[in-house]
Amino acid sequence: MSSSRGSLPRYIAIRLLLIIPMMWVLLTFVFFLLRIAPGDPVTAAAGGKLSAEEIARRQAALGLDRPLLTQYLDYLGDVVRFQFGNALSDGTPVTSLIRDHGGATLTLTVGAFLFAVAVGVPLGRWAGRHRDTAIDAPIRILGIVVYAAPIFWVGILLIIAVDNVLPSWPTSGIASPTAIYEIPTRTHILLVDAVLSGDYVLDVLQHHVLPCLVLGMLLSGVIIRLVRINVIQSMQADYVEAARARGIAERKVVRDHAFRNALVPVVTVIGLQVALTLSGAVLTENTFNWPGLGTDLVDYVLARDYVAVQGLVTFFALVVVVVSVVVDVINALIDPRVRY
Amino acid sequence: MIRKLPAVLGVGVLGLGLAACSDTPPPASDREPIGVDYSEGEPAADSSEEWTLGTTDAITSVDPAGAYDIGSWNLQYQMFQQLMTVPANGSEPEPDAAECAYDDPKTITCTLQDGLMFANGNELTSSDVKYSLERNIAINDPNGSAILLGSIMDDPASPNPKLAPGAVETPNDTTVVFNLSKPDTTFLKVLSTATASIVDEQVYPANKELADTDEHSGSGPYMLTQYKEGQQAVFELNESYGGPHPGIAPRVFVSFHKDDTSLTSAVKTGEVDVAWRSMSPTQQKALADDDIAVLKGQGSEFRYWVWDMNNGAGTDDAVRQAVAQVIDRDQIATNAYDGTVEPAYSIVPPGFGGQKDSFAEEYGDPDADAAEKILSDAGVETPVALKLGYPQEHYGPNAVDEATEIAEQLNATDLFDVTAEAGEWEQYQTDYKKSAYDLFMLGWYPDFLDADNYLSPFVVDGGFFANGYSNPEVNELVDAELGETDEGTRDETIGQIQDIVAQDVPLIPTWNGANVAAVGDGVGGVQDTLDPTYVFRFWMITKS
Repeated sequence: MSSSRGSLPRYIAIRLLLIIPMMWVLLTFVFFLLRIAPGDPVTAAAGGKLSAEEIARRQAALGLDRPLLTQYLDYLGDVVRFQFGNALSDGTPVTSLIRDHGGATLTLTVGAFLFAVAVGVPLGRWAGRHRDTAIDAPIRILGIVVYAAPIFWVGILLIIAVDNVLPSWPTSGIASPTAIYEIPTRTHILLVDAVLSGDYVLDVLQHHVLPCLVLGMLLSGVIIRLVRINVIQSMQADYVEAARARGIAERKVVRDHAFRNALVPVVTVIGLQVALTLSGAVLTENTFNWPGLGTDLVDYVLARDYVAVQGLVTFFALVVVVVSVVVDVINALIDPRVRY
Repeated sequence: MIRKLPAVLGVGVLGLGLAACSDTPPPASDREPIGVDYSEGEPAADSSEEWTLGTTDAITSVDPAGAYDIGSWNLQYQMFQQLMTVPANGSEPEPDAAECAYDDPKTITCTLQDGLMFANGNELTSSDVKYSLERNIAINDPNGSAILLGSIMDDPASPNPKLAPGAVETPNDTTVVFNLSKPDTTFLKVLSTATASIVDEQVYPANKELADTDEHSGSGPYMLTQYKEGQQAVFELNESYGGPHPGIAPRVFVSFHKDDTSLTSAVKTGEVDVAWRSMSPTQQKALADDDIAVLKGQGSEFRYWVWDMNNGAGTDDAVRQAVAQVIDRDQIATNAYDGTVEPAYSIVPPGFGGQKDSFAEEYGDPDADAAEKILSDAGVETPVALKLGYPQEHYGPNAVDEATEIAEQLNATDLFDVTAEAGEWEQYQTDYKKSAYDLFMLGWYPDFLDADNYLSPFVVDGGFFANGYSNPEVNELVDAELGETDEGTRDETIGQIQDIVAQDVPLIPTWNGANVAAVGDGVGGVQDTLDPTYVFRFWMITKS
């Protein structure tokens, strides 16, 4: 007798429905955390300048004197209608922020992923194949160090080093001022726009190298360790032993049997690193003066701009949740056992 | 300032000795500071290539009705005209879009220059001037500076103020008459600030701001042709500009940086030609070491310590005076700021009419014996317990050194038992109002260049920080100087106020800052624009 309990549509429906309480808890947490923190947009901007009466008047003008519950319910109502409002500190619509600056964060994270995969996968595979040898040990240490080292610290050291070794290499920003001005905006992703226009591609790529490398190092640490351990496990599997027994060359065994199978769980886990990547992007963007959403988030947190922070966090949360659901669904498609 | 968290964390936690960014612009005097070799700067040329300015200033709004910060105002000075303008290194307003003069302390008449046009081709008339001010007041943006226009508002305390009826008259297209609600000899200077920028009434909505991404149109020497928030602004020459200072460079880029580490790196790589605001003493030294010219002009930043006179030790005159007697400002400048700031002996910085070093006259050199006598004469038991408060990050890392230096100086006398406590900026503002500290640190940039901007906000009925100080004589003198049109008499009154403040000590000035820029090769004219207004005049800068 068949049961709907393990059906894929039901699994997807449940995962989608779970988004609602997840988002509600997160948004409620962010809303009240911001209110509990001392300060508000007015005192952050002009607190050392205005009288208490003028500050109170400006707070009232922004509606900050309304009951907290009223503000909370208004906020939830706006979120349901996908209205993120305008930043209190500079009036910029949050949707415009996401549109105009999301591309920079996207290129940074994609570039970092590419770097991390390009470095982490071969190193992890090499270390896994040569487990507990002189090759394995330094790679394991490297994996731990790059994962554990604070991004802003690595970034600052890299900037100092590049300033000394390659003084003309750009260490901040997404492109030179002239490139930003001249490249016509089509997709709001500067690198893509540069490629489409055919101009300043090298300029933009040069600016991408250091930020992508720093954020990519963080991710490569995760990948090195994951690939390594999965390769080690695969190398001990029966089908690998069977392949060896059939006389297949060790290099071919590793490449075609152990490594390919080891990548399946790695792909799933890498997909779940979106949250780590976004949090790393916040620090990377600030270190390299990168005009992305992470930079915006830090600026608005420091400005106590409730509306902008709530909007950006909501967006980040949506990205993480949607990616998680997609990964879960893919996982369920690959391995039916997870549906139960 | 902000916007600097990772760098600050990196420096603080890891102790690399790298300076994180500070919103404190450096030195103010001709005295040669320790470590930084300030350059003279190149003169401007007759022609120029395009050039790039890098800055850590954030932009609140491109629209003049939406901003009250140096970064936003600086963009607005390039693209909008004001009726009057303070020339570089000058102190009195000169004609810009108009020629204005006081008829009496409550009346100003302005005559617009002939043939003024906005960059979009529209004519600029007196109606635009009135509209710009009326709109600024009506919008009354919480982040804006409409508060400076109180003398032409119907009710400045109202949440919805309006332009007072009859406050601005436009008898014809070229005449504007201001009828002030009270004698206000500073209002002409207010009219030279960006809050009085003239906008095109056919472009700017009456009751809301124009979005930063929209097409802004002013009549200034440059036009804003691109604005990407947090990244850059691009200006091009306004060919229809009819004012006194046309631009030279055909195009100017403004590149926004999150902190001074990024900014100084950009000037080293040549990606920006001029790095301006705000570089820490450490970064200035690093640039100088790399043979980048670091230029210094007089600034108007002011750092001071406020006594809480509502509660605690600050309620005792003798305690306040004894502390003022002990503090060694030279040591603060040297030990906390590497000599990049100038000791302040008045709440009015040098260069302003009526300024006098009243604290130096009243207390002379730092003297622990004299302080002990003040305390013993008043019967104060020593050591006096004092709690100093200062913001952890808001004024940059050197503020910590300043607080530490003062605490050490006071403790060294054995007359005081001082503890210094840092506060996160937001919490700090709440705490000092709740008498959490006996003496707390604050900083100030003027809204406009007049001595009163260092007096009215500070010493009238407790000042904006509500520290409990109130002296009727001071209040009367402030009213008198505000209504006095005779310069000599006004200067004398301003001097009297400073003398009384030095005796009463509601606050203690510590230093004045400077206006500093780091300049790449071939850039001229920068030195000439570094003045206390903090207006970076693009029209004076050239690059060859």
